[in-house]
Amino acid sequence: MKNKLLILAIFLLPSCSELNLRPLSEGSSENWLNNQAEVEMSLNKLFDINYWYSSLLPISTSRTTNAGELQYWDRSTDDWNQRESTTEITSSTINGQTAFVNILWDLSYECIASANRLINGLKTNIDGVSSQKLLIYDANARFVRASQYAKLIFLWGDVPYYDTTISIEQAFGLKRESKDVILKKIYADYDYAIEYLPNMYANNEKTYATKGAALALKARIAVYMGDYPVAISAAKKCMELGIYQLEPTYGQLFLSSTRSSKEVVFSNPRLVSQDIKMPKTRVAEPLPRLVGGFGNGGPSLDLFYSYLCTDGLPVDKSPLFNPMEPFKNRDPRCTASIVEFGTPWLGYIYQPHPDSLNTLNTQTGVYVKNQDSRGYLQWAAFNGLVWKKGIDEDWLDLQTDPLNIVIRYADVLMIYAEAKIEQNDIDQSVLDALNMVRSRAYKVNYTESTAYPAITSRNQAELRKVLRIERRMEFAFEGLRYADLIRWRIAAAALDKKPIYAMLDVPDLRERIVNKGLWFIPQTPTIDENGIPDFSNLYRDGYIRYLAIRSFDSTRQYLWPLPTTEVNINNNIKQNPGY
Amino acid sequence: MAGLTVTRSGGAANSSATLRIRGITTIGDSNPLVLIDGIPGSIDRVNPNDVESISVLKDAASASIYGSRAAAGVVLITTKRGKSNQLSIDYTFEYGIETPTAVPKQVDAATTMRMRNERIWNGVDNTGSEYPLYPKELIDNYANLHVENPDLYPDADWYKKLIRNSTPRKSHILSFSGGNQFVKTKASLDYSQIGGLYEGKDYNRFTFRVNNDITPNKYLSGFIDINGLMNDAKDPVVTLTPNMNYPASLFAPTWSDGRITQGDAASLNLLARLQQGGSIRRNGQSFGGRVGVNITPIDGLKITGIFSPTINISSEKNFSKKIPFTRLETPEIIAGYIGGHLNTNLLETRSHDYAFTTQFLVNYDKKFKGHSVGILGGYENYYSFNESLNASRLNYELSDYPYLNIGNQNFQYNAGEASEYAYRSWFGRVGYDYMGKYLLQINSRFDASSRFAKGYRLGIFPSVSAGWVISEEKFFSKIEFLSYTKLRASWGTLGNERIGSLYPYQSTLSFGNALLNVGQNSVSASTASVNKYPIQDITWETTESYNIGIDLASLSNRLRITADIYKKKTKDMLLALEIPRFIGLTKPSQNAGSMHTIGWELETGWNDRIGKFRYSVSFNLSDYKSVMGNLRGTEFIGSKIRTEGSQFDEWFGYKANGLFQTQAEVDAGPKINTNVRPGDIRFHDISGPNGVPDNKITPEYDRVWLGGSLPRYLYGGNIQFGYKSFDLSIAVQGVGQQKAQIEADWLSAYNNYAVDIVANRNYWSKYNSFNQNETANFPRLSPNFNSNNYSALSNYWLFNGAYFRLKNISLSYSLPEKYCKIVKARGCKFYFTSTDLFSLDKFPKNRDPEASSFFITNSYLLGLSINF
Repeated sequence: MKNKLLILAIFLLPSCSELNLRPLSEGSSENWLNNQAEVEMSLNKLFDINYWYSSLLPISTSRTTNAGELQYWDRSTDDWNQRESTTEITSSTINGQTAFVNILWDLSYECIASANRLINGLKTNIDGVSSQKLLIYDANARFVRASQYAKLIFLWGDVPYYDTTISIEQAFGLKRESKDVILKKIYADYDYAIEYLPNMYANNEKTYATKGAALALKARIAVYMGDYPVAISAAKKCMELGIYQLEPTYGQLFLSSTRSSKEVVFSNPRLVSQDIKMPKTRVAEPLPRLVGGFGNGGPSLDLFYSYLCTDGLPVDKSPLFNPMEPFKNRDPRCTASIVEFGTPWLGYIYQPHPDSLNTLNTQTGVYVKNQDSRGYLQWAAFNGLVWKKGIDEDWLDLQTDPLNIVIRYADVLMIYAEAKIEQNDIDQSVLDALNMVRSRAYKVNYTESTAYPAITSRNQAELRKVLRIERRMEFAFEGLRYADLIRWRIAAAALDKKPIYAMLDVPDLRERIVNKGLWFIPQTPTIDENGIPDFSNLYRDGYIRYLAIRSFDSTRQYLWPLPTTEVNINNNIKQNPGY
Repeated sequence: MAGLTVTRSGGAANSSATLRIRGITTIGDSNPLVLIDGIPGSIDRVNPNDVESISVLKDAASASIYGSRAAAGVVLITTKRGKSNQLSIDYTFEYGIETPTAVPKQVDAATTMRMRNERIWNGVDNTGSEYPLYPKELIDNYANLHVENPDLYPDADWYKKLIRNSTPRKSHILSFSGGNQFVKTKASLDYSQIGGLYEGKDYNRFTFRVNNDITPNKYLSGFIDINGLMNDAKDPVVTLTPNMNYPASLFAPTWSDGRITQGDAASLNLLARLQQGGSIRRNGQSFGGRVGVNITPIDGLKITGIFSPTINISSEKNFSKKIPFTRLETPEIIAGYIGGHLNTNLLETRSHDYAFTTQFLVNYDKKFKGHSVGILGGYENYYSFNESLNASRLNYELSDYPYLNIGNQNFQYNAGEASEYAYRSWFGRVGYDYMGKYLLQINSRFDASSRFAKGYRLGIFPSVSAGWVISEEKFFSKIEFLSYTKLRASWGTLGNERIGSLYPYQSTLSFGNALLNVGQNSVSASTASVNKYPIQDITWETTESYNIGIDLASLSNRLRITADIYKKKTKDMLLALEIPRFIGLTKPSQNAGSMHTIGWELETGWNDRIGKFRYSVSFNLSDYKSVMGNLRGTEFIGSKIRTEGSQFDEWFGYKANGLFQTQAEVDAGPKINTNVRPGDIRFHDISGPNGVPDNKITPEYDRVWLGGSLPRYLYGGNIQFGYKSFDLSIAVQGVGQQKAQIEADWLSAYNNYAVDIVANRNYWSKYNSFNQNETANFPRLSPNFNSNNYSALSNYWLFNGAYFRLKNISLSYSLPEKYCKIVKARGCKFYFTSTDLFSLDKFPKNRDPEASSFFITNSYLLGLSINF
């Protein structure tokens, strides 16, 4: 009998498992931020590229950098078009269930919660870390928090604000805080950052935010919110740091080979080998079909015609503009951003002309079928325009890793000029700031005022128009146009009931334009005081057609809707008007 | 079986079925506990031929002894064991073919072009050319052009090129059985080979099971069971499902000389991806066993110790190859690569997990003077561990060597993670039976789980059940047509802790990486962040249930009827309620509130024989409805809702009011945005920010509950006939009522891909007459499909999803003994089985009511079975 019970005892041996199990491959937050490594790990998260796309953020439908379809700000403006497609913004169908509205909201607050946790959890004394270093960590986290709230108040207006770690019960008690109150708190965080952040980091240190970045982004949110005195002062201090310079060659700045530049004030790196790269769709869209791209997303005709001529005048005013040679005598940024017809591009001569059925492979010297001509392929070249800015041979394998430039020095100069113009405090410094940006495009010094169309007017209204067109030319495809349209309140003028124009169908194109020797488009659109072209005459005369009509509901769209669930589950949160 | 719902996500060889017992009782995990010879496991691991019996415990009283994981019911599977003095060898061979029940139809190129033109023309308010993309001459002459030059004018049927009409399957099953009074053994082997419905898909499986019983003397016995499963699944890198976007017919997969084309840039060249895109190979080996000893020191007392390990090892090799394509005129020049196949990449994953179940049971049975008492006491311990690793290299130069060390060293990555889980349980049962007339059973179980913090860990789950076999009573014996009548009643509680997170009460940090510059170099830096909200006092969810039932047999047991009514109340339900999103953390599961379920079941059967003709008929019907009680919040699950008063997973969306027919109606009516035009769906204005209709349609104020999404009135039936050596059996199954949704993917015509259900039906169109538009089934084609007009859920897209299905028809013939003897066999049987032969439903044509993640197949199977 005893022996038999012994047998049973064998079964009971492995039979008392520990129940206090801890996660094996995750850390515990209860005892964290005890040393430099832990503090830096928490801080590093705040500089995750997902929180920082473009000027504000890309309108991403995916939370990861590489996956899926990516919608970016410029798609929702009049600078971009992809055949007949519109976005929720340009079809005015945006509401609280729109994916990117929810994702951007979630990502911003996720970043804020992490920043709060770090700021409040930082101990005053960590072995081996100087108190000055701790201040830099703290200042960096506040810089991030300010930047995230800045994005929130610009897009949504009043939003919930908190700067501690909150419980679910506390969250249900929060109301939307006035954007003016939040703006003051954003300034306070930026001012703290400006005081303690270094001008730059040592070559063996991780590069987080700098004093200049805090000044520049403070200036940006100030000008976005119409607080011009603060914008002027912050931008001026950034300029006075003497650290930043414009990159000598405009087009060079945006290439993936440019890993750093004195013009870049704040950016996040990308690296193909670390699998942090431009999303494939975004790379393939602007590349011509001849090199294996989709060739379907690119500059709009609206953008093309808003580049000035080399005399500083818009196309409808300048005697230098010839509609049959539309790339000639244009601001150099035009051909730096859009591929000129008949020029070499990524190994081929790019030519969307309908009779250009073959085109030259510039490497082999052999003519090949022209995949980018509608004369050959029905679904090629809708408006004939293809992006150039930032693109080079590195894109051809559809993997590329240019810097994600959050803000660059040209923008600081333009913010300074804009704020001074709006304050009607126009002095030489305003003209210098504008001319520095423009003269760089012509590769001359801004003082050589005869070598480029220097800006001389001191009239507020005139300068406002100059500045608006200048920003459009300088920052095309950098994700800034949407914020410009919104804060200047010209989104309706640019987008509402505005068609997306394209070239005529091939038979019509041949009959009405090509056979008459009138290629490309034989008329010139008029340009309004905001730099927005009006094509209605060209359409009326049958020289262009349109594929879609953009719309913008100005009764509500200057602010975004809050995510629907926030409103549905919480009586303290009310939706923005009109949604 | 009444109350047991088996749903399939698809007919793929390796897709597993979902079991639901009495529907949903908890929001967490509603999968029933499957016990294979008493040890928790997966039903997929058992070879159907090894099954001796399956029983389903539906009510809490019978299930509660199985503890916390039994909240959603228990399926008990007993496998076959060897018998004394019986030696046998059985061999079965099956061969069959499977064909998809429903494959969408491709829309031809001319129609696609017409629809795309209309869609764009609608987007510009029907101004300008009606042929914005494809000229009229092209469309009108397309058929001729296609014949002249199919390369320049393709009209491809992608479905035909991608989906096979049929695929074979075969299996060999061999089993041995034998034993004497001391040793009994039963062993079986099963090898199955199942082809895929498209190229590159293939599944092979080998299972074995050996059950041994040893009885040295009357005081001691033991058993050693071993089972194993090895599978090898090969898939292409893309999975074809019925609900996905297929390329439009305007793009051919290959040029006429067989070279790969770019296909449709947006939906990619699926054929090239199947044929040249690489493969995903998954291999799994799992082994399980059960070793136990029974000691019977005195009569009626049995002490049992069982130790049962299971081990799973799986590996996956995902080799995705680059696919170059060429242009028509330049076969020698690579023009680019198919999207998703720009590089050749290898991802290897390895994972292993193991679990130990230890059980210690004491059983005592005693009978005296018609009284019968049974007492059971037990202890169970469970521990499981899982660890996985993956490694990858990208940008391979060569596409034929799927091994890591050939990959590019500049692009190598790896990751790994691990988790563990444990519980301990104590349980007891006292059963009492008097003369088989009065039955009473009392159970209780104590469970402690590692999921909860100390202090919230222990759950106590008691239950009581009673039965009264009324037909044994004297006063009842006069009612002659009722041969057996039993009344049953039970009350019981069960616990549930199965939520996604293994550590919900602990605040954890997630680690990751971010890129930062150090000097001029970009480096990957480790990151740490909190992204889950911990609920420290999270504890057991409990379900209390009441059940009354009756079992009847009549007319000499030829007629059987079983009926049950039950009520369940779930408390402290574990639910991921919505929290303010601006808290910046993912929503945690919490003990949120209650749910009430009421249901009933009915099963009847009749069997009889007339001379050599045997037959039986059975039918079952069941229904239940779950309504959410007092929840402390709301949870949104896509377009479904769980909130106080709603049904579980009730549809939540706009209430539609037909289509806008005229611009005047659009101008007058409340709209969802300024882009609404005639031909779009009109919604009811339910409310607004001030609690009254605001003449605006918004997702915040105008969505309402639209009815339950779960199937109601589930039924099944079975008819069997036998005549001499022939047996015929027919099984049917169906759902009496269900609100099904027209899936967004079925409507991809609105999203540039012409799809049959829209193309073949009438949609609102400028080309229609007013009367045609008034009766249109679908809204106008519009480029704004992806936004919130008619893609948002509304009852416009809900339809009657009830269906009736001929599940199985099977005919068998047993060869007379005299012929069997020729080959020294004891028995020999031929059979033919067909499954899912047809269904009656209101689903759109070419859509199967059950298929979602994979095609459902209709199979025809021939089998031969010989027993020696």
